[in-house]
Amino acid sequence: MVRLKREIAKRVFAKEFNASRFKIGGNVEKETVYIFTPLGLKCNRVFIVGALLEKEEVRPDADIWRIRIADPTGSFLGFVGKFDPDARESLAEIDIPSTVAVAAKAKLLEKSGKSIPFIRPESINLSDFETRDYWILETAKATLKRIELMKVDSEISRIAKEKYNPNLEEYKEMVIHALQRLKEEAKVVEEGLEEVEDSIEEEVLDINDLY
Amino acid sequence: MDKFHSIVNEIYEMFKDYKVSKSEIERRLKLLVFEFKVPEEEARRTIINGLRRDLNISKEALRFPLTKISELEPGKWVSVKAKVIQLWDSTSPSIAQWGIVGDETGTARFVIWTKSSKGKVEEGKNYLFEKVIVDEFGGVKSIKVTSLSEIKDIDEEIEVSEEGGEVEAIGALVSISQNSGLIQICKLCGRFTKAGICKEHGKVEGVEVLRLRGVLDDGEKMFEIEMDENCIRSLTGLDLNAAKKMAFENLDRSIVLLELKRKLLGRYFRVFGELKFRTINVKRAEFFRPKILEEVEKTLEEVKNW
Ligand SMILES: [Zn+2]
Repeated sequence: MVRLKREIAKRVFAKEFNASRFKIGGNVEKETVYIFTPLGLKCNRVFIVGALLEKEEVRPDADIWRIRIADPTGSFLGFVGKFDPDARESLAEIDIPSTVAVAAKAKLLEKSGKSIPFIRPESINLSDFETRDYWILETAKATLKRIELMKVDSEISRIAKEKYNPNLEEYKEMVIHALQRLKEEAKVVEEGLEEVEDSIEEEVLDINDLY
Repeated sequence: MDKFHSIVNEIYEMFKDYKVSKSEIERRLKLLVFEFKVPEEEARRTIINGLRRDLNISKEALRFPLTKISELEPGKWVSVKAKVIQLWDSTSPSIAQWGIVGDETGTARFVIWTKSSKGKVEEGKNYLFEKVIVDEFGGVKSIKVTSLSEIKDIDEEIEVSEEGGEVEAIGALVSISQNSGLIQICKLCGRFTKAGICKEHGKVEGVEVLRLRGVLDDGEKMFEIEMDENCIRSLTGLDLNAAKKMAFENLDRSIVLLELKRKLLGRYFRVFGELKFRTINVKRAEFFRPKILEEVEKTLEEVKNW
């Protein structure tokens, strides 16, 4: 009785996710492809609760929408279209800004020497601050565990060091910052707007890249 | 129980996994005690050693008896033949692998400690976990693979039972299956029917039910969950009649699924229920709303002490 293995939805902050430049897997047909983050996380699927700040129809002819979802460390770039009908349908009903919960596929767009991580939501749902706060806590703890794992010699930590040589202190500070803001009950959403790194060149974006 | 029978029982328990009958043990004991007039203790030792030799069982194997999953007892050292049903990603440097194993009597968690330096197991494969210790947490039994333990590939297909036991799980509902909402199931077997056709029974009379199947995921592990009408009502206020009315008014039953997705998807839940294979049949569910401030402070404190 072989069942297709469903991938766990990883908890990762935007800053770590967006710093990803490499994939793992996908060498053989049907082999699962994972985004490999600087802290050695392999993710094929993610779960995010954050602020939906942008939704813009970038390809009206193809009904493709670009979205941005912010967390305390940055924002996730995402694309929604009829390839994910559930997400497409709910996105139409959600205004910006709103707190949303998103289950998404993690993808890496490799184009003209650039690697741009993005998400393809499978579902988007209205959420609330309470849920978002719990997500931040959960993600902070998951990130701290990864930082600890990086200090231990393993195949994963070796590859992560070789590919990214991540500054663990910086990631630790990121987590502390996120938790401190939770503690101070700061309004994460409003400040989360301070802008995002690599904004994407729409022209280089081919629909096929999204699959 | 007299001394004679208590020895028979003790030896029987020791060797029951090796298909040694009580009458055979009795026969050997009678011979030694009544005919050769050997003291009982001496007879006991002789029989145990004899059986070990005949069956080619190491002393160690007897100290770590082959045990079925349903009979695992916390604190005991045992050996277990089981199939790896699910592997979860390691979340701590001290854990090499963890997940769920099963045999024909049930399922349990397993943990392979990094320090044990034992080989990697794979999902769907069958193994003999030798000299492992049994532990229990939150009503869920787990077997721990330490440096004393051995993991051996076995050339044997283990049928996994669906019996599990009570579990509690917390996670985000990240997916709701299309076979959820107001659906029709086969009267004979309870399978989801599409256009009145059951995969097993062909064209059948359908029964309308309100059901939810989905995936609860905490970022480290996941469970498939199934909720019945009672559960769904306690979370959403929606019951079978209301769902039927809704579908009728909209001339579309998929409206019910949409409503469940809108109200439940992406939320965190704490569920209690029976684990069957890898699905939790949820008996009780609640929205998970923890007080997080304390946990935030604790985590900050820990990081600062790194
Ligand atoms: Zn049937």
